Amino acid sequence: MSTMTATSGRAKRPQQPITLVGVDVYVITEDGIPKFDEYGPFKIEFISNRGTKVWPGYVSPDLMLVNWYRCRFTATRPVTDKDVDVFVGELGKKHVWSAVQKLWNYGDEAGYSKAY
Amino acid sequence: MAKHVITMLPGEGTGPEICEAVRAVIDHSGVDITWEYEDIGLDCLKEHGTLLPEKTIKSIAKNKIAIKGPTTTPIGTGHKSANVTLRKMFDLYANVRPAKLIPVLKRPWDKIDILSFRENTEDSYAAIEHMVSNEVAQCLKVITWPGSVRIAEFAFKWAKANGRKKIQCVHKANIMKMTDGLFLEAFREVAKKYPEIESGDIIVDNCSMQLVRNPGQFDCLVLPNLYGDILSDLCAGLVGGLGFAPGANIGDNCAIFEAVHGSAPKYAGMKKVNPSAVLLSGVMMLKWLGEHKAAERIEKGVDKVLAEGKHLTYDAGGSASTDEYAQAIIRAMDTL
Repeated sequence: MSTMTATSGRAKRPQQPITLVGVDVYVITEDGIPKFDEYGPFKIEFISNRGTKVWPGYVSPDLMLVNWYRCRFTATRPVTDKDVDVFVGELGKKHVWSAVQKLWNYGDEAGYSKAY
Repeated sequence: MAKHVITMLPGEGTGPEICEAVRAVIDHSGVDITWEYEDIGLDCLKEHGTLLPEKTIKSIAKNKIAIKGPTTTPIGTGHKSANVTLRKMFDLYANVRPAKLIPVLKRPWDKIDILSFRENTEDSYAAIEHMVSNEVAQCLKVITWPGSVRIAEFAFKWAKANGRKKIQCVHKANIMKMTDGLFLEAFREVAKKYPEIESGDIIVDNCSMQLVRNPGQFDCLVLPNLYGDILSDLCAGLVGGLGFAPGANIGDNCAIFEAVHGSAPKYAGMKKVNPSAVLLSGVMMLKWLGEHKAAERIEKGVDKVLAEGKHLTYDAGGSASTDEYAQAIIRAMDTL
């Protein structure tokens, strides 16, 4: 009698070439919008709070900020998982973070959203 | 110098013709307003390369009040919604949507008078989405304690100031125990400060069913962003559709009033679309500015035209143009 594995019958989406292009780091701080040093091949692109971009550019003085920031770092050269490990280790020496999400491109499409 | 300087955002599609009709009615109410016209929406893309030009942002930041016609958000492209951007940029955290029966539109209920207070800046609208594998997409649902407290506070204050009796928090905390659980906990904490207003909660799926079966039982609803988006449209549908559904997006120091319907580009230039939703948003705006007499005069004018039934737009069963409907309201205001 044949058996079906949990995944053998699932619908499959066509696979595309995946490229690591950056990381989102979720930083917790009570000290306002965080500031970052240069970390190897990763450069800060934007910081958002509750999905609203708070750096760079105009920020309404009325905007309510919570103590959790999404910090988007983009790679300035081709990078690997090892680069991410080193980056997160360095960043963690100065900042408290709750999660890190790798950013991948799928073919030519970004697999991540921008902030408002 | 005019008493009020208001940013006018006509939008695209039928937006400009609707906003001209609305402006004519509001100006006829006698309120001293200088209108600053600014661009927003798809038509801006060619000229400015963005749905929301910097000049428009500066005008709103200066005036702290705007009225907006409909705009369209491209689906599945890289352009962010101008509406959501404005709400986030100016932290317009309270989306207020009244749904009240309109006598001329025959509905199967005797009474509907529901006020929805939708949290406008958080939830799955935080724009935090990732393709975490080629097969799996995730969207973070962000609910915060301060964000939940302030929408509850806003709702209770509004309810108290306007003589409303009951507020219910709409949630799915039985399943989403952390996110909706936090929203509900904040609501209950705020409710303790308003013992004179009856408070309670209802699960969103049950609320949807109850709204359709017996909408007269509801008074005020406080909802997280996504449920609020959906159920406020449902409420609009109960009373006659989006053509009569006004809305306000309000923060601590800025407010933008807008209809919630789309820009209906296929009707653009035909001057047949009902301007009531933007006009009634304008009525909300006048009340927000403290111009209650002018607001009531317009409301009564609208009621009179709808009751007479001679100058109705196509969606209300008539054949009047946008301008004919607006002019009928102006004439009705003169008889009050």
